[in-house]
Amino acid sequence: MTTTTQLPVDDVALSVRDLKTFFYTNKRCNKAVNGVSFEIRKGKTLCIVGESGCGKSVTASAIMQLLPTLSRIEEGEIVYHSERGDIRLDTLARNGRAMRSIRGSEIAMIFQDPMTALNPVFTIGFQIVENLRYHTAMRGRQLMDKAIDLLRSMGIPAPERRVEQFPHQFSGGMRQRAMIAMAMACNPKILIADEPTTALDVTIQAQIFELMATLKRDHGTAIMLITHDMGVVAELADDVAVMYMGNIVEAGTVDEVLRRPSHPYTWALLDSVPVLGRGKNQDIRAIPGSTPDPFNRPTGCQFADRCVYKLDACELALPAETHLSPTHRVRCVRHEEFANGVRN
Amino acid sequence: MLAYVIRRVLIMIPMAVAISFLVYVGLDATPGDAVSFMLSPEQMSGANPERLEELREALGLNQPLFVRYFIWLGGLLQGNFGYTLTGGVPISDLLARRLPATLELAAVALVLSTVFGSILGIISALRRGTATDNTLTVVGMVGVSIPEFFFGLVAITVFALNLGWLPVGGRSMPQYVTFWDRLPHLVMPALVLSIMMTAGVMRYARAAMLDALNKDFIKTARSKGLPEWRVNLLHGFRVALTPVVVLIGFRLPALIGGSVIVEQVFQWPGVGSLFVLSVRNQDYPVVMAIALISVVTVLVVSVVIDVLTAIIDPRVRLGN
Repeated sequence: MTTTTQLPVDDVALSVRDLKTFFYTNKRCNKAVNGVSFEIRKGKTLCIVGESGCGKSVTASAIMQLLPTLSRIEEGEIVYHSERGDIRLDTLARNGRAMRSIRGSEIAMIFQDPMTALNPVFTIGFQIVENLRYHTAMRGRQLMDKAIDLLRSMGIPAPERRVEQFPHQFSGGMRQRAMIAMAMACNPKILIADEPTTALDVTIQAQIFELMATLKRDHGTAIMLITHDMGVVAELADDVAVMYMGNIVEAGTVDEVLRRPSHPYTWALLDSVPVLGRGKNQDIRAIPGSTPDPFNRPTGCQFADRCVYKLDACELALPAETHLSPTHRVRCVRHEEFANGVRN
Repeated sequence: MLAYVIRRVLIMIPMAVAISFLVYVGLDATPGDAVSFMLSPEQMSGANPERLEELREALGLNQPLFVRYFIWLGGLLQGNFGYTLTGGVPISDLLARRLPATLELAAVALVLSTVFGSILGIISALRRGTATDNTLTVVGMVGVSIPEFFFGLVAITVFALNLGWLPVGGRSMPQYVTFWDRLPHLVMPALVLSIMMTAGVMRYARAAMLDALNKDFIKTARSKGLPEWRVNLLHGFRVALTPVVVLIGFRLPALIGGSVIVEQVFQWPGVGSLFVLSVRNQDYPVVMAIALISVVTVLVVSVVIDVLTAIIDPRVRLGN
């Protein structure tokens, strides 16, 4: 199950190879991310989809070296292909100078809940300026001017007044825009967005995604978007990775994964999305069962217990990763049958 | 904010009157009166009842409760605290002598406990789960649980009696002029007084700090590539500060009203020891004066805390 880089390295902003990140609680080990490989292409959007607890956010935190203290990267490598050459992020000290100089300037992150992700006691301007002060040569008046520019480019009206305000004076959507302004302050190469719209209402979600699409187009920022919304994937993604219980079960370009899904879990995810226009009697199939206990995992395919296509072979060992095309890969025992169109 | 402060200050006046009246009623309800403490039981039993009644009348003790209260209040409004029943000394003179001693002790204890409590609390929170944290937590529990008089007596035994480094008690000697002359007298009471407060502030600061460090914005701060000191102290402690300020504020009246036990143990000539003496003698004008100081301090401090909280935390809006 080795994964060779299928793309020219020039194209890749960040590659993750066989990443394993485990959590340790009460002498038990939760293998939250258990051998994940993917690439984020320059100027492209990679969507990582999966249910809660599948390891999406942990993967993001691992890249940023923002894992909680009880967890650590066990194996694998995270390589940031910077202009200065390749940097192994996983080997850098968590809060060391080298990691800090990349964090927030070259790789930035926005979080799920803008209500709690901004510090309530500092002004929006202060929190944006903080980022600029640590990563750019800007000083004094320039800093605030840049913060105002950033807010304006994120579509925040009256930014001159808004920079002086505190987060509680912003609405949810405005806060997320301010968060994005903060993350984009140093024009990062990679933006990691961890479910950036989960806490926002639907119309605001659309605005935020539109904003992110603009950023990608105007700045060439590579985006790693964590979501569980298949609609968002169809809208924004260039590449998709479907995660389940710490593994990528299927990955490929958005066309490959959405048009020729080859893993029963991807099918199940797609079947569980309501489609606008099909009326209220459409058949939305929820995935039966629930995710297994992370401390008591099945030995074979993690999805086997909930899978309608399960064979005995599924329970023996975790299926190896197979490439259906240079970019399309899947972890399923029956991938050959499925690739030939055998479904149901 | 100004309108809010003015309104709060105006509300303070009726509150102070009401509370002082309750204290007055409480004092009146205790058995005996000043006269019964001025005379020994032998004298009392042998005394002519008419003479006792004359004495009471002279001291103004034979009038109805309400009349006595309003006479006291009237005097107070003219800036007159009255005279001690036991010695006829003007209470304002007495307080002018006693209050600076108490304030000196309170200020030192407050500064020590705030500084050390906050620092130890932060260290404890940042090293959560380590031996340092556990040690500090245990020391904090001990500090909060053991009464001050015990620490006081141990300190006197060790540092004054056995080692002879510091004076046993008192505040000053005739030849002492400056603060530095008096410093050796101040060390023990100030330290003993600050032990319990330091432990309290530490436990509070640790809890508030842990709470703040678990917030999402700490991860955001770290994701910006800020150095750890800035993440912890600026983003973390700044948010943890509010509850700590409230705690310290509410300890303040107890300090200014006189730390009764510590002043008693070290014979510190402050308001606290005066309070004990006056209650014992049923010298109600003195008790009332001290009670009033405490009441006003509590009321003033609560307004100050509100204003400080609004300054520290922009989400807090004063007013309705």
